[in-house]
Formats: sequence, structure tokens, C-alpha cells
Amino acid sequence: MQILTQLIYSGIALGMIYAVIAFGYQLTFATSDTLNFGQGDALMLGALVGLTLVNAGVNYWLMIPIVCLFGAFQGAVVERIGVRPAIKIKSEFGWIMSTIALGIIFKNVAENVWGRDDLRFPSPLPEAPIKLLGANVLPMEILVVVGALAMMLAVELFNRRSIYGKAVVATFNDRDAAKLMGINTGLVITFSYALSSLTAAFAGVLIAPLTLTGATMGAVLGLKAFAVAIIGGLTSGMGIIVGGIILGIAETTTGFYISTGYKDVPGLVLLLIVLAVRPAGLFGKTAIKKV
Amino acid sequence: MTRFTKIALALASASLATLSLAADPIKIGVDGPFTGGSSSMGVSMRDGVRLAVEEINKAGGVLGRPLQVVERDDEAKNERGVQIAQEFVNKEKVAAVVGYINTGVALASQRFLQEAQIPVMNNVATGSLVTHQFDDKPDNYIFRNAAHDSIQAPMIVEEAIARRGFKKVAILADSTNYGQLGRQDLEKALELKGIKPVAVEKFNIKDVDMTAQLLKAKEAGAEAVLTYGIGPELAQIANGMTKLGWKVPMIGSWTLSMANYIDNAGPGGEGARMPQTFIQEPTTPKRQSFIVSYLKTFNPKNSRIDSPVSAAQGYDSIYLLAAAIKQAGSTEGPKVKAALEDLKTPVEGVVTTYSKPFTKTDHEAITANIPVFGEVKSQRVVYAYPDDQKKASEVRLKDVNAKGALTVSKKK
Repeated sequence: MQILTQLIYSGIALGMIYAVIAFGYQLTFATSDTLNFGQGDALMLGALVGLTLVNAGVNYWLMIPIVCLFGAFQGAVVERIGVRPAIKIKSEFGWIMSTIALGIIFKNVAENVWGRDDLRFPSPLPEAPIKLLGANVLPMEILVVVGALAMMLAVELFNRRSIYGKAVVATFNDRDAAKLMGINTGLVITFSYALSSLTAAFAGVLIAPLTLTGATMGAVLGLKAFAVAIIGGLTSGMGIIVGGIILGIAETTTGFYISTGYKDVPGLVLLLIVLAVRPAGLFGKTAIKKV
Repeated sequence: MTRFTKIALALASASLATLSLAADPIKIGVDGPFTGGSSSMGVSMRDGVRLAVEEINKAGGVLGRPLQVVERDDEAKNERGVQIAQEFVNKEKVAAVVGYINTGVALASQRFLQEAQIPVMNNVATGSLVTHQFDDKPDNYIFRNAAHDSIQAPMIVEEAIARRGFKKVAILADSTNYGQLGRQDLEKALELKGIKPVAVEKFNIKDVDMTAQLLKAKEAGAEAVLTYGIGPELAQIANGMTKLGWKVPMIGSWTLSMANYIDNAGPGGEGARMPQTFIQEPTTPKRQSFIVSYLKTFNPKNSRIDSPVSAAQGYDSIYLLAAAIKQAGSTEGPKVKAALEDLKTPVEGVVTTYSKPFTKTDHEAITANIPVFGEVKSQRVVYAYPDDQKKASEVRLKDVNAKGALTVSKKK
């Protein structure tokens, strides 16, 4: 039992790491039907900028808002350069290429600025584990879970309660109608990209003390997060959390009960099953595309 | 420009051209990962090479010609290594190649150099197969001055089973060529002791969570964890142990001495033990002068060489090649190779004094009696056993009869 508890804890912590990244995919998909394939790189930039600030003597908690601002700016740049031209000409695939390209550019820039070594991110919390129901948890893992949930809750509240959030939801429901109602949909889309990179940058500094920090940290995590977004459903914040936890626990338990060599397999099999049975994801709304 | 200056310029450039002809440099290719997860080994190796080249050139070069290094970053990628090997052969026309940190890259790249009859001195890559890849060819151009896995694996097992008396051990190895070949060697060496590992687990490069692997080892009752991987993931293993509150000794291949393991694992990484050919301690005059000039030239963080073993072996590899070129009186591949196989004068290196380091059939300069055990202590690698440290000033010479190595045969 203790083993299972331990595996589930680690699975949840790992799953929440995936979920915070996947959340960024969901944000932009909700407004513009596009995804930022450079999400993993936005995360990496956030973590590296954060590390530079911490090493320069800025307090970890003070550093977070600065990194968030940086992330928002970076997301806006991606939208302006990569996505807007594609949306304007109603290109179906242009944004895929351009966001991937921008991701690669960001990675190369980071390699030149910070080098390609994996660096240690000093943990703001004590590194000794805490006993919880017979299994060990790192304080930092709890922070990741709490931070991720708080961030998602904040964004959901913003979308549901504030007037600006309503503009976001309206743009999602019907972009053309929203435009006719006087909503600046272009700005809303830029905003959603800024918000999505902001969450990625925040996720970066949140998880960096657990993972290692380096220019290549985003690649694997970004891909796993993509699987989470598909499993959970690209239109549902709740689905992202559940999808993340499912994938995380699937990885740790398979690793233990079957073989560590196959630990990535069940998650991906699940992905295939979900795509075959419920293409919109476990919690996604089935969208009817009018042609 | 007046006519006079034109003439003067022409004369000057002509005399420069003849000068450079007189001292045409000997090009040596240097290949290693200078970026990425293995970079602490690659960069230290390169710096060791640079140091040796600078010293040799200051002393007048080899055959009256200066050495010139052609450095290329293979990013630990097999395909980059292959491109670089071809560039060395066709474009740069190097006399010899030193380097290769990653076993996979070495195996993929060195066939081009073998075919072009250019000697390769592997100064870091440890895969057992590296020097045996061309055993079936009449001439083998691949040499090595690093402790290969068939020495390291039995040393690790000897340390865990015989010296420290563990009965139950788990193996954690990464999924690369390096990790999996090393795992095979570890299993073979354990078998010779009549022991079967209680758990054999795998992890991927960039894995951030080792809970499943460690729990399996823990549940199986492992008293020690034997590792084959590189720095960042080894650090995740140490961090994972801290998290689980399960602390057993880590004993593994020499990569446990990498700076990115020591730094990223922090206090949880202390006590890890690994075979080392060189420990950053001034135990002989040669080692002292090496350490002093390395620290002076490259000024590493906290006066700690990122990977002392790589730096020392990189440095020695150049001296071995220089001695061979000098003896051959030529930079032609076959002649240099023949000289390496029959070095007349001993070469005093940092790791050991190489007297007759290679023969026609034996291309390994390091034998099982040379490496010692290092231990991570206060963020540095020190001698694990005081006895080794006391005797460190006695240089351990190559002993072909040294016991402990596994026999290597080329896979058909």
C-alpha cells in the first residue's frame, strides 16, 4: 500500500508538471483554434530567465512576477510574428510551422546565451522530504501541485467572471460574431497567447527546482504535455488536470509494476484509444465543424 | 598605394608564405561534445588537449613543426560525429584524431578514420567494443588511453561485493549505448561472483522522475545501487533517493565524478564511488604541474576541474601521439600507427608513465591495476581509500597480466 501511495504521489507531481504546460495549449486553442507548439520552449525560457534572476540575487518569490511578465511578452511576440499572419490568410497549417520554427529559434538563442549544460535551480523550500500518509513527498512537489491549481483557478475565474474574460469566451464561441459585437478579436488572440506563455514561464520556474534547467528541458516535457492536452480535451481546463494526473500515474505505476523500459507506453496507448473513441478528449466538448 | 609599398608588401607576404611552408603545422582533429549533457567531459578533455599542445609547441613542436588542433563539437550525436570524421578525412586532412567521449559516437564515426588509415586515440569513451571494432581488419587504427568498461564493471562489482560485502545489488542504467553496454558488463561481472542483481532498471536521458526505478530496487531489498549513466540523470537518481528517504550507497561507472552530477545532486550525491584514472591531487610532480597550469590557464569554478579524468586523459593522449609521430619521423597514418604499437621511449603522462602502452594486438593503454576508487566528498572527488592516497605517488604502470578485466570479443 505504501508503495502504491508513493507511486501515486510521484505520479500526481509528475502529472501536474505536464498539466501546467498543457494548460497553455488549451488557452490559445480556446480563442484561436491554434496551438503554440513552442510551449515547451516558452517554459524553458521562463526557467532560464528565472535562474538568471535568482543567481543575480533576486528572491525566488519576487522573481516569479518578473518571469511572468517576460513570458507574456514572449507569447505576444510569438502571436504577432507566427500566428497572426496565418490566421489572416485563413491558413490551416501555417501557424503549426511558424510556432515550431519560433520554438527552435528560442531554443538556439537559449543555447547561445545560457549554454547547453543542465543547471541546478536552487530550491526555495527545504529539500528534505515530508512524510504524508506513510509515503514521502518533497515540499517542492506540493508547491508545484498547489501553484498549478491556483494558476489554473485564477485563469478560469478571470475567464468566467471578468468582462475581459467574457470577451475571450465569446471569441472562442464564435469569432466572427464576437467581432461584430465590437470585440477586438485580434487583441483577444494576442492576449491569449501572452497568457499561455505566461503560464508556461510560470510553470518553468515552478518545476525547475525539481527537474534540471537547460535549453533542452522543454522538448520532452512539451511533447508529454501535448499528449495530456489530447487525452484531457483541448477545450477543458478540468480535463487537462485529470489528463495530466492520469498520464503521470500511468508512467510511475507502469514503471514499477511492469517495466521501467515501457513506462512511456501506456500513456501513449491511452492517447491512441482516446483519439479513436473520443477525439475531443475525455472532457472536451465535441465540436461540430460547419463546412 | 605607392609602388614601393606594393613591392614591400609582396616581399613580406612571400617571405611569410615560405615561413609557413617551413613550419607547416601538424593537424590533429579533436572531437567531443563541448555542449550538452556530456559537455563537462568534452570540455575538460579539450582543455587538457589544448594544454598539452601549447606545452609541446612552446618546446619547439614535433619534427620541427607546431601542432595545430582542429576542434569540432559532436554534440554527443552519432550523426554529427560521422560528419566530423568525414570532414577530418577529406577537408582538414588531419594526421591523427583524439577524443570521442560517447561510445555511440565513437563506434559510428571511427570507421571513416580507420578506412583513411588515420590513427584515433580514444581518450574518454569507455565502451568495451571501441578498440575491437576492427579486430577482423589486418590493421587496427583505433587506440585508447581510458579505462574501458570491461575494467570498470568488474571494479564496480569488486567494490560492492568483495570490499563492502553487499549481497543484493540493483543496476540502474540509461537507455543509450553507453548505459546498456555497461549494464551487460556489470551483469557479466556479477555472474562471475555468482550474484544475480535483484533489480535491473532502465531510464531515459532527460527523465525527471526516478521513483519507479528506485522503488523497485528498494522493494527488492537492494543494499547498493550500481549505476551506468551520465551526470544529469545520475543526479536525478540521487535526488530521488533523498525524496524516498532511502539512502543506499551508489557505486557506478566513472561518470559519477562529472561536475553536473556533483552539482545537481548536491548533498544527496555525497558518498558516491566510482573508478578513476586520475584524481585532482598533486601526488606526483607531473600531476602537480598539470593541475597548476590547468587551473591557471582555464580557471575553473572553485578550482575544481569539471572532469579531472577527461582532462588528464586528453592531455596524455596528445603526448602519446606526439611521441609516436616523433618516433615515426612522419605524419603518415600507417607509420604513426606502427610507432604507437612499438613506442621505444616511455612517455611520462599524468595518469601513468606509458612504457610500451600498445602492441599490435593490444590497443588499450590502461589496465585493471591502474584505476583507483574515487568518492564524492564535500563537492569534490577524493580518494575513497586512504591506502590508495598514501601510495598515490607511486605511479601505477600498465600490467597486461592484471586480473579483473572481462574478456572482450567482437560481436558477430
